[in-house]
Formats: sequence, structure tokens, C-alpha cells
Amino acid sequence: MARGGLFDPRTALLAKHAQHVVLIHFPIALFIAGVAFDLVGRWRKRRLLAEAAYYNLLAAAWSTLPAFATGLLAWQFELDGQKLKGVLLLHLMLACASSAMIWLVWWEHFRARRRGEALPGRSVIIEWVGVGIVALTGHLGGFLSGVNGPG
Amino acid sequence: MRRGIRSLALAAAITGVTLIVGSASFMASAQPVPVPSAGVKIDNFSFGPAQITIPAGTTVTWTNRDDIPHTVVSDDKLFKSNALDTDDKFSYTFAKPGTYPYFCSLHPKMTGKVVVQ
Repeated sequence: MARGGLFDPRTALLAKHAQHVVLIHFPIALFIAGVAFDLVGRWRKRRLLAEAAYYNLLAAAWSTLPAFATGLLAWQFELDGQKLKGVLLLHLMLACASSAMIWLVWWEHFRARRRGEALPGRSVIIEWVGVGIVALTGHLGGFLSGVNGPG
Repeated sequence: MRRGIRSLALAAAITGVTLIVGSASFMASAQPVPVPSAGVKIDNFSFGPAQITIPAGTTVTWTNRDDIPHTVVSDDKLFKSNALDTDDKFSYTFAKPGTYPYFCSLHPKMTGKVVVQ
């Protein structure tokens, strides 16, 4: 099997930074889905949707770890850890904020479940802010990865 | 006596003029010879021109005209730029003949080649 082929596992496993652009989809999708389940669950008062929201948010929070780690590795491997500026620096800062927001939203849900209480009203605002920051981070990441470029 | 002084003054003047002209021509010859240069523009996720052919000793300057960062890295890691923001430049002087393929490490699909003759 030729190296670099579409189904060559080495392409995915040894491509140094390629994992980041793959793994980053998990926290983004899980978080947005979790927030959507939560909002619909509140609106329709469906306990099952609230459960789905919790587990989506839990998975989103844990999946930030490999996504964040591979982002840092990309910085080290591809840019030799040089001092960042411009869009790259903004992407890193927003990535930190996004990760913190995802964990914060999960923590709000976790605390409410543990205490057997309803979610506080502020959690909706935090969720929307979180979605906004995640979307902005992903938008910049899309530019950096070149998905918005030709070909 | 007076003629001797005049001759001496004339000799000194000629020597001075010779020294001034000589040192001026020496300084002119000591100035560095301008190095030939070439430019590559980075725009819309591509290097333009993608391939350039230059004589040895030429300095190539890459300028990022794109609105996102790019890098210039040779395949054999002979040269490697920092992340270049919009309007940032990177230069490298190619001393030896050969073919130097390079790419953007952030977007490996972006490739180019410098042929040094």
C-alpha cells in the first residue's frame, strides 16, 4: 500500500498535525447538538432530550482534550512553536475560550443533575455564548486549514 | 629657490589629486555587487509563479498577499519561514545550482519549485 493513500492508516496516524482538523469536529458537533437537545428539551419539557443533552455535552467536554492537544502539537510540529500572531493567535485564544465554555456548560448540567435541581436560567445564556465562541473559533480554523480555499 | 618651492607645491598638489582619485575609485570598486533577486507572490492558496528558474546567487523573496497565514518550507528543510501574515516577506539566497521544491506547511497542497542554474 503506497504511503499517503486514502486508506493508508499511516496517513491518519503519522501525519503529525492532520489529526487536529479531524478531531476538532467532535467537540464542535457534540456541543452544538447538546445545546440543541437542551433547548428543545426545555421547550418541549422532555426529560429524554435533557438526558441526551447531558451525554452530548459530556462527550463534547472530553473530546476537547485530544482536539486541544493535537492543536498544540500542530503548533509545535508545523510552526516550531514560534510566537503566534494574527489569525493564528486569535484562533488559539478562542480555542482556549471555547474549551472553557464547553466544560462550563457541562459543569452546569452536571451540578444540576447531582443536586436534582432544574438548570438555572443563566445556563441558556452561557450555552448561546458558548455556541457563538465555538462557531467563531471553527470559522477561523476553517480559514487556517484551507477548507475555504480553492481545490 | 622660489622655483623650487613652486615645483614642490605642484608635486604635492598632483600627489594629492592622485590620492583622492585613487581612493575614490578604490571605494567604488569595494562596494558590493548588487545581488540578483526574484519574487514569488503567495495569494489565493497558491505560489505564483509556481516554478521559477534563477541563476545561482539569486535571492528569492516570497510575499504573502493572502489574508491568512502561510509558510514557505523546502522539502529537504533547507529553508523554513515563520508563519507569514498578510504582507509579510521571507527571503532566501540560493547559492548552489539545483532544484528546490517547497510547500506551505499549514496547507501542504500548496507547492512550488525553485530551479537554480
